This record gives sequence, structure tokens and C-alpha cells, in this order.
Amino acid sequence: MTTLTRQDLNFGRVVADILCEFLEVAIHLILYVREVYPSGIFQKRKKYNVPVQMSCHPELNQYIQDTLHCIKPLIEKNDAEKVVVVIIDKEHHPVERFVFEISQPPLLSISSDTLLSHVEQLLRAFILKISVCDAVLNNNPPGCSFTVLVHTRDAATRNMEKVQVIKDFPWIVADEQEVYMQEPRLIPLKTMTSDIVKMQLYVEERAQKA
Amino acid sequence: MDELYLDNIDEFVNDHNKIVTYKWLSLTLGVHVNTAKQMLYHYLDHKRKESSAQLHATYLVSGKFVHNGQTSYKVSVVREDQLEDFKSKMSLIVSIHVYSVQKALLKDSGPLYSVDYDAVKDNLKNCSRYSAIRCANAVPMSSLELQQVREKQWGPTPEPENQKSATNGDTSQMSKPSSKPQKGIMGMFTNKATPKNQDSSKGVTSEQKEDTPVVDAAKSKPAGKSNPMINFFGSQTAKKPDKKVKEEEAAQSSSASEQRHQSSQPEAKHEAVAAELPKDTKRDCRSKTKRIKDSDSEEEKVEKKKMRRIKKPEPDSSDEDVLPDSPQQMETREPSPSPKKESHPEMKTRKRRQVLKSRTFVDDEGCIVTEKVYESESYSETEDDVPASKHTAKDPNPAKLPASNREDKKSQKKASNTNKGSKQASIMGFFQKK
Repeated sequence: MTTLTRQDLNFGRVVADILCEFLEVAIHLILYVREVYPSGIFQKRKKYNVPVQMSCHPELNQYIQDTLHCIKPLIEKNDAEKVVVVIIDKEHHPVERFVFEISQPPLLSISSDTLLSHVEQLLRAFILKISVCDAVLNNNPPGCSFTVLVHTRDAATRNMEKVQVIKDFPWIVADEQEVYMQEPRLIPLKTMTSDIVKMQLYVEERAQKA
Repeated sequence: MDELYLDNIDEFVNDHNKIVTYKWLSLTLGVHVNTAKQMLYHYLDHKRKESSAQLHATYLVSGKFVHNGQTSYKVSVVREDQLEDFKSKMSLIVSIHVYSVQKALLKDSGPLYSVDYDAVKDNLKNCSRYSAIRCANAVPMSSLELQQVREKQWGPTPEPENQKSATNGDTSQMSKPSSKPQKGIMGMFTNKATPKNQDSSKGVTSEQKEDTPVVDAAKSKPAGKSNPMINFFGSQTAKKPDKKVKEEEAAQSSSASEQRHQSSQPEAKHEAVAAELPKDTKRDCRSKTKRIKDSDSEEEKVEKKKMRRIKKPEPDSSDEDVLPDSPQQMETREPSPSPKKESHPEMKTRKRRQVLKSRTFVDDEGCIVTEKVYESESYSETEDDVPASKHTAKDPNPAKLPASNREDKKSQKKASNTNKGSKQASIMGFFQKK
């Protein structure tokens, strides 16, 4: 039984790795389930011992990877409060927001050997929930695109601006219209609590979409 | 009392927005699978009459299918909207039952597997408690037997032929019980097909027996060749002929087979359990073998990397994922350098071969060293230069590494020495100036 604190950066990195891997899979799955891109570009792959749909398009994959690469340091330091995948319609108004609220306990304690397999099980449940979320959501209008927003605590973004994590991949402060949605309806999807991270996923949906 | 289960299912489907498969339902409520199937059917019927909620269902259809003059027995999970179409294509329908009920319209079959995964994992020891498939001889090997099998495999490792003959002789008895579970697996296709009527099942099994000899003959051929494989999977037998053949191919290196044995015991159990879920044989059979190969090859790669340091440079650092034993895996991830592949995603013209090449290089001491190494070279029909050169360009570095470890260490030491020397020089220089 070991008790590690946040200062143990190695462990913070492990948690950030796990979360970023999960977010990558989740973003691909959201794009598949909400039909943001045609299903032809997706291919079945395996993650956490279950089949998931990942895209094969190189530029899309690169974009998602770069995005998460920049988010990773924020998660390591527990600065990222929410990671939001926003689906935007043709007029650049958000129609759906998939919000991943992440919080890490300040004192991380690994209390069991099966911690990682337990976390894997919880993440599997998340993926399953995303797969069936179209039962509770209305269809999106055609021609949607997506973007990823990160809500950070305090002044973490100032640090990010100083140090550009990836060259030619700048992050900007989001516009008012991308962040706020008219008449949002809240649909909770899944919550998980584990020793290393607490995560909640809910969807905010605009009441009138088309 | 009878209506309680309707409420339960209702809660699962509507409130929790779950996908309710018959297997999950049977494990959750503790009922026989056939009862679970009936429950789902009644629930669906009930709800459809009320026409309250939007429900979707998937069905398991099994029966004979004639394709290009060849008759095969096909078991598929189909969506409701494709059901009639599918039924019309089959020549003889043996059974149809509800596979799952859910609110969401599923675009692909992935979640169906995920649903059962955790339920089965929790009940791993007795996941077939409620199932209709029984085989008296299918018992897990005791740890003593496992030990014996392992010893036999590890003994004559460098000579696979001897190994085969040894295990053939010793384990001729093993193959007998394993053939029975094979029939049991074929029986799975027949037994699962009996939802309600026992009579129809009898008619079915007599019909299926005609098919089983054909399949068994096919199975006995690879069985003869791959007795070591049967040993590993003694009671958890290889499921389908495809799988066996592929695993045969992949098990050419004995170290890989060791690794698989150790690591696949828990995995094979998963697969054994998961294989009970009948899926679309044509598509998911392949994808299942792919999945197994994915999981196996992850572990294999580690082992292979150690074994074939010289032969196989950086097997998993390149995106191409080209392994000599798994041409199918190349389909999953390939970068775009070869435009040919994009146009022919299914046909693989790229192969890898081990070529004995002699590498000449100058090492640190100024000596010219020539060594003969096996290098894997990728070649195709068209002899694409780009990937070939990429590989050969990569090769010299790792080929050097294991062969000239000593030299490298020396050079490293020298480098570090010189580094220190330079540092010291600068520090000393500070003092010496004066």
C-alpha cells in the first residue's frame, strides 16, 4: 500500500496518460456516434478489451492527438477542470456539448493491486454509455463540425500561452458564442469515482437543433 | 410474480438506458438463458402492443446458408430492420430468437460485446451456469496437468519436430477429450438453436450431424498438425477452424507459444466465454481472430523483440506493423506511403522475408567489421523502393546495436569520458589560466 502525493510527478503523468488515452477514444467515439463524420472513415479497433470505433483519417487523428498533447500538461498539474467536446452547426452555434468533468484527489493513494483494472472497467462503462447516448439525444442537423474546449482553473492558460506546447498549434480563448448555448438541456451520462481520478460525463443539448 | 420481470427489464431499458442482452439478463436475474430469451420476447411484444416507447431489438438467426453452391451453417446477429431480408436469404432457418433489446439504434455491434464483457468477467468461473450447452468432458485442467503439459513443451524447444512427435505420442489421449469438446462446440451451434421446442432440436441435431463430420474432418487435419496447440487449449478448445489455422501460423516460434500459453490462459478464457456469443461468422469471425491476434501479438511482440533482436529490428516502432506471421494484421494500420495499398486494402502484396546480409562497417577503433545478420526485408510484387529503403535504412542501426554491444558500450564510456573530460577541462581551465 503506497501513498503518493501530487508532487510525485511520475504518478501524475501516469494519470494524465490514462486520461488522455481515454479522451482520445471518447472523442473518436463521439464523432462516430453523433455522425459528425461519415462512418466510412471509422474502423473497429480494440481498447480496454472492447471494440471501439476509431477514425483512419490522418489529419483528423493528428488534430485530436495534438489537442490532447496540449491538454496533457494541464491534467498533470490538475489544472484542467473540464474538457468539453462541442459539436457546432453550420452557423457556428453549438448544438451539443459533451462535458467531461475531471477532478483528481490531492492525495493519491494506491490502495489495491487491482486499481488499474478497476479503472479500466469504469472507463469501459463510459465508452458503453457513449455508444448508446443517441437514444437520449435528438439528431443533429447535417454539416456539423466539432471543437474541443478546456476549462482550466486559475491562470493556467497564461502559462500555456507562454510556453507553446506544440508549434503551430496555438490555443486561443474561446468565443462567447462557442461556450454558451441557448436553452441547454442537461442529460447526465455517467459518473465514475476511483482512487486516482473522478470523472463525470454529461451532455448539454440545445432544445431546438435544426 | 410473472409480471415482475417485465418491470425489471423496463427499468433496465428505459431508465438506465442499458442494452439488455439475453445473456446479461440471465446472469443478472439468475435464470436459464432460454427463460431470458422468452422474457425479452414477451417484453418486446408487450411494449409493442402498448406502442409507448421506441425500442430496438436485435435477433440471433441461425440456419443453413447456400453461397456459390457451398452450404454452410451461419449464425448471425441481425438488426430488426434487416431481419426479414436476412431470413429470405437463408435456405433453412433453424432458429431465431431475441438477442438484445435497447432504446438506442445501434450502428455497430461493438457495444453488444461490451455489455456482456463485464457480466461474464464477474462470473468467470460459472458463466455457463445458466447456459444450454453442456459437455461432460469439458472440465478445466487441474494445475498438475497444466504443469505436465508445460514441462513437455519447454523440454525439447529447439526442435519443433521432435516436440511434435513427443507430444503426439504422449498426448494422444489428450486429443480424444479435446475432440469431444469440439463436437460440443459444434453442438453449441445446434443447442443454442433451441429456444422452446425440444423436438425441433432433435431434428436439428440429426441434421447437424451430417454437417459435423465435414467440419470435424477439416478440424482433424489441423488437429493432427497442431497437437501442441490443442494441449494449450485442452478444455478451452479452439473455437472455429479459421481461428485454429491462424493460431497455427502464428505459433511457429515456440517462445511465442510459451508466451501465449502463459498469458492467454486468462485471455483464452475470455475468448472461450466470448465465443459463446454467436456473432456474424463471416465478419466477426475474422475480426475476432484479429482481436485475438491483436492481444496476442502485443505480448508476442515483447517476447519476439527479445528473441529476435538481430532478426527483427523495431517491430513495433514503425507504424506499418508488419509481422511475418500475420499478414492480416497489416490491414489494421498502414500509413499512406504506398499508394497501392490504399487502392487495394484487402489484397496484400507486401511480404517480409529474412535475408542473410553481410554488413560492413567501421567501428570506433578504426577496424572494419563485417558481420552477417539476418535482416527482415519487406518486398512486394512491385518492389516499392520507398518502404524497402525505409526498412533497410532503419536496419543498420539496430542491427549494429546487439551485435556490437561491447563496442557501443565502450564508445559510450569513451563519450562520457570525453564529456567529463571536456567539463573538467573547462573547470580546470578556470584554475589553470591563472
